[in-house]
Amino acid sequence: MRTTQQALPALLLALGLCISGCAQVAPWQRGTLAKPQMALEPYPMQNTYNAHIYGSREAASGSSSAGGGGCGCY
Amino acid sequence: MAVTNPASEKLHAEKVFNSLFTTAFSRLTDRLIPRSGTKKKSPMTPGSASLQALTAAALALPGLMPSPAHAADEEASFLYGYYAESNRNLYDVQSRFDPITVNSFLGSTKFKLADRVKFTANFTEDIWSGATPIATAPLSFGGNREGGVISGATPYLQNDTVFFNKQLNPLKTDPSTRRPIQNPITGKPVVETELVHTISAASPEVRNQGDFKLGYEWDEAALDAGGGLSVENDYNSHWGNLEGRMDFNQKQTSVNLGLSYTNSETNAILDHDATPYIWETSSGYKTFDNTAHNYQLTKEGGNTFLTGNRQDWAASLGVTQVLNQNALLEAGLGYTRSTGYMGNPYKTVETAFIAPGQTGDILTGSAIGLLEERPDQRNQLTQNLRYIQHINGLDAALHFDYRFFHDDWGINAHTFEADWIQPLGKGWAITPKVRYYSQDAADFYTPYIVTLQTPKRVVDANGNTIGKKIDANLLPANYSSDQRLSGFGAISGGLTLSKQFARGVTFETGIDYYTHQGSLKLGGGGEDAYANYSYYTVNGVLKVDLSALSMSGAGHNEHAGHAGHDHHGSHAPAGVMFDHMLGKSGDVMAGVRYMRSTQGGTMQRGLDKVSDQAIVNFGCAPNKCFTTPSQMNMNMIMLDLMYAPTDWLTLMLMPQFVDMNMSTSALYGAPPASSFEDQALINHHTLHPHTTGGIGDTGLYAMVKLFENSGHQFHGTLGFSAPTGSVDLKFRDTHKIDAGFQHYGMQLGSGTWDFKPSITYTGKRDKFSWGGQLNGTVRLEGNNESGFAFGDIFQSTAWGSYTVLEWLSASVRGVYTLQGTVRGEYDGTFHKLGPADYPSNYGGRFWDVGFGLNAFVPRGDLQGNNLSFEWLQPVSDDVNGYQLPRTGALAATWSYAF
Repeated sequence: MRTTQQALPALLLALGLCISGCAQVAPWQRGTLAKPQMALEPYPMQNTYNAHIYGSREAASGSSSAGGGGCGCY
Repeated sequence: MAVTNPASEKLHAEKVFNSLFTTAFSRLTDRLIPRSGTKKKSPMTPGSASLQALTAAALALPGLMPSPAHAADEEASFLYGYYAESNRNLYDVQSRFDPITVNSFLGSTKFKLADRVKFTANFTEDIWSGATPIATAPLSFGGNREGGVISGATPYLQNDTVFFNKQLNPLKTDPSTRRPIQNPITGKPVVETELVHTISAASPEVRNQGDFKLGYEWDEAALDAGGGLSVENDYNSHWGNLEGRMDFNQKQTSVNLGLSYTNSETNAILDHDATPYIWETSSGYKTFDNTAHNYQLTKEGGNTFLTGNRQDWAASLGVTQVLNQNALLEAGLGYTRSTGYMGNPYKTVETAFIAPGQTGDILTGSAIGLLEERPDQRNQLTQNLRYIQHINGLDAALHFDYRFFHDDWGINAHTFEADWIQPLGKGWAITPKVRYYSQDAADFYTPYIVTLQTPKRVVDANGNTIGKKIDANLLPANYSSDQRLSGFGAISGGLTLSKQFARGVTFETGIDYYTHQGSLKLGGGGEDAYANYSYYTVNGVLKVDLSALSMSGAGHNEHAGHAGHDHHGSHAPAGVMFDHMLGKSGDVMAGVRYMRSTQGGTMQRGLDKVSDQAIVNFGCAPNKCFTTPSQMNMNMIMLDLMYAPTDWLTLMLMPQFVDMNMSTSALYGAPPASSFEDQALINHHTLHPHTTGGIGDTGLYAMVKLFENSGHQFHGTLGFSAPTGSVDLKFRDTHKIDAGFQHYGMQLGSGTWDFKPSITYTGKRDKFSWGGQLNGTVRLEGNNESGFAFGDIFQSTAWGSYTVLEWLSASVRGVYTLQGTVRGEYDGTFHKLGPADYPSNYGGRFWDVGFGLNAFVPRGDLQGNNLSFEWLQPVSDDVNGYQLPRTGALAATWSYAF
């Protein structure tokens, strides 16, 4: 499938980055990464709220994580 | 969100590491050793540091937790959001309807059930009302027409004469004659290709959703199982999901896999104002072909129902990779397969039927709406990439997100989003964000349809017309004019401001502005400008870190012990407000209170049950009654925010979010209505329960300690209720009648500034505690902006409670409430059809008995949390005039003291 051919490179890129040259970051060097502003989702409540609005107004609803959910699409 | 001064960043990093590592170790040992008394924390010797360091710091990496990532392990958060859309372009016509607005409340709590077991529960409520497009049509069809008794344009789906040219382009018509206009020079008809949405109002709707997640965490992996339920009166959905995570490479790489299944049921009552003009539903236009649909239509009791089922299977795969000390990358893939009914029962596609074989420059036809026909399966693929980079000089973080969506309906969509999180020092942070979205139109999207056929009459054996038949083979297999499936682009920008206070309380507020425009579509070719709209949202979030005390070390334990002493067992039952004060200057308390009250059963006058005939004759004096309320319920969610600036004064802010629902039935023996409009309204009200909801009134109180001595305390409260709840809510139009104001009891607040004094006594001795309270509500204005005011209230209550177990107490309570009638009456269009519409039928004297349970956490991570429930059983309702008696009330509160 054409789209799978698009998808795999993206995923391999991520893994490739790791193999080729990600810096090895020791656990005691992860202070910066542990900061709240570096979290994948620093504002989870607002993110859920906005995601529901976008899902009600745009066709490309559904995030990359399989959560499932009802509509309530106004 | 904790923030730092960039200059001390390195020192902070070390501090964070040390406190995280200390916490992880102490949690480990606390769970293994039985607890008693206050918790002691011993600092860790450097010698055994490395192994624990690895585990602790790694566990603390927020980005590698199963999504969504949270900074705190145990937390309660609340969000209120308001959404408002702009008007759609109706050209010269003034719409009767307000654009759609939505009030939303989200609550979330997560905590540890055991060492490696985490539980999350979420609750969501959305309440929306306002106008929404039901169809799209050429401007000349006149889909939004003014005229008639009410002001503003109302939707028209049926048009018996529409005009097209030979190329099947719509022709411009004269609005007064509704005939095509001719170009004075060429003599040819004028083409007008502009389109316009046909706008119809949606009734207020409420959606409630509950979902949960249970997770187990190993050293390098985690597994979460969850599920949820979403309920609205026309759509129910339930789902289950499973998520697993595995860490590699000392947690520098994480792989996530997710699976979910959702099953949803549509059970919609079609708008009976629109159904006569929609094919398939109108009584005169039954279709006689056997086209299979993925929905079913049934008629029951005067309503037309559309039912359909839908199933979604979804899987997702994600990889998160630490790139270096300052950057992270996440890549993900998702696949969803949906089958079944995926249409919108409230949207139609305007279809023009033109008889073939017409000659001349002007072709005539007739138009009617058709229910959408969407495919009954949809395969969707998403790919996303997220990059997070720390900006060392500013201690800021840049988040960049790209998502690509593809489905087999022909839609490709791109989303680009960028956020810049900038800490400002002293606990403040500001986050501007920008987002660009673009999507293609679905293959079967069409604003409207032109078909070269005329519906054929179908006659029975006697030659009577029993319906009309369309040739579905001449129509596209699938069609929809839903703007969500059109081609467009959207840009939005927003700002969030957050402030973290001491002891783990964070307040965030944000605004967002979004504009949807066809011209913004990537690559061009989007929908024309008529479909453009925009919206803005504002939101506020309160986050409470439930384990904030345990994070900070020994100093807080004394205070926690003190808090325990203040509140242990001395909370009044859940239904009592203003029952306790904060003991020490600087104390903060946050709490949520949920209350539900219901009314139902046989109508009463005073203490006596009454018959329908009595209500008809006397319930609506000097007029007759036609309808009566049959069931009413009200839900309230209140946030209690308390702060003690001194030892003897506590300030309190209480915003609330309410929703109400009321069913009406016709009265047996009622006379015919006095007008056609009233009869139509009576039919409508009895067929449909009504709902309202949104922000209610907000309370501001000051509690003052009057006397305290050896277990006895007196305190007084002075306060005001600010009229932030709407009192001008109206019914949506029905049969093109202005149905006027909703009932007094369905408004969201009192509309007046109210003075609320109270005096409370509490006493305590050994395992017993008791108390009493007198409180009042005095309306400070004679009438609100809608012309009325509720009656004043006086309430007295007394309770006793016994500590059954160290952490559990049970209570019994008696309540007497006295409320006056409504004063004044609505000053606008208002149809008085039943007892609830007359001010003298409000208020009364009420006796209740309450039974409650209160659970308190005396020690451990969740120390200071208090959860209580109370059921109030009505004993006697002596109502003013004719009212529905109460059947019960439930109160539940959760509060947390710092």
